[in-house]
Amino acid sequence: MLNILVVCGAGLGSSFACQMSVEAVLQDLGVKASVDHSDISSAAGSRADIIISGKNFESQFMRYDLPMELIFLDRLVDKNEIKEKLVPVLEAIGKL
Amino acid sequence: MYGTYFTEDNVQFNVEALDWRDAIEKSVSLLRENGFVNREYASEVIKNVEEYGPYIVISPGIAIPHTRPENGALRVGVSLITLKYPIYFEGIEAPVKVMISFSATDHHKHLEIIKMIVNIVENGLIDNISNIDSVNDLNNLIGEDNR
Repeated sequence: MLNILVVCGAGLGSSFACQMSVEAVLQDLGVKASVDHSDISSAAGSRADIIISGKNFESQFMRYDLPMELIFLDRLVDKNEIKEKLVPVLEAIGKL
Repeated sequence: MYGTYFTEDNVQFNVEALDWRDAIEKSVSLLRENGFVNREYASEVIKNVEEYGPYIVISPGIAIPHTRPENGALRVGVSLITLKYPIYFEGIEAPVKVMISFSATDHHKHLEIIKMIVNIVENGLIDNISNIDSVNDLNNLIGEDNR
């Protein structure tokens, strides 16, 4: 199962809202995945295949050497932007 | 169903705020007055934004001030303010006109509030909300578009 983690500062609002938009996009694409949300401090130890977060977190993620695919969004609940950035990643890892 | 979240007690229209910090204080004060959070909550939200950047701005025009349950949340709750003068967050082009603050006590009980917020954004209602001035109109607007 493909695992996607959506990350924000508190790990329960912005990331939760983004998770809903990500789930809607995955459904449109017909891709099955388990999506969850968390705060940035627990993201580093995550074993997700893809992490999705806001642009403002990009520099903080770059401090860690994370093995998974990272996607950064300008707008957390913009399905068009999510689709635009998620599709190439899904293709790259053979999930689409 | 979403039309039941907002009452005269947790909504204020055309609030005047000096900057984003002041706007967060004013938005969160409605949560405090309703017993949803303690007095630490607003400063914890501000501290989070200072540390992580404006993650609470989830789409142009709207911010959703919130922080972790242990930072002063007492019950699950929500408030809404519209700003008389839009305010800017550092690094974000579009100013914020609507603030929906909420409190959460765990990772899931506030699901319905998040759904409502996502619906507002996806239905493009932020501009409409910033232009109304009655709780009735607000609930009709949100209620209609989500049924």
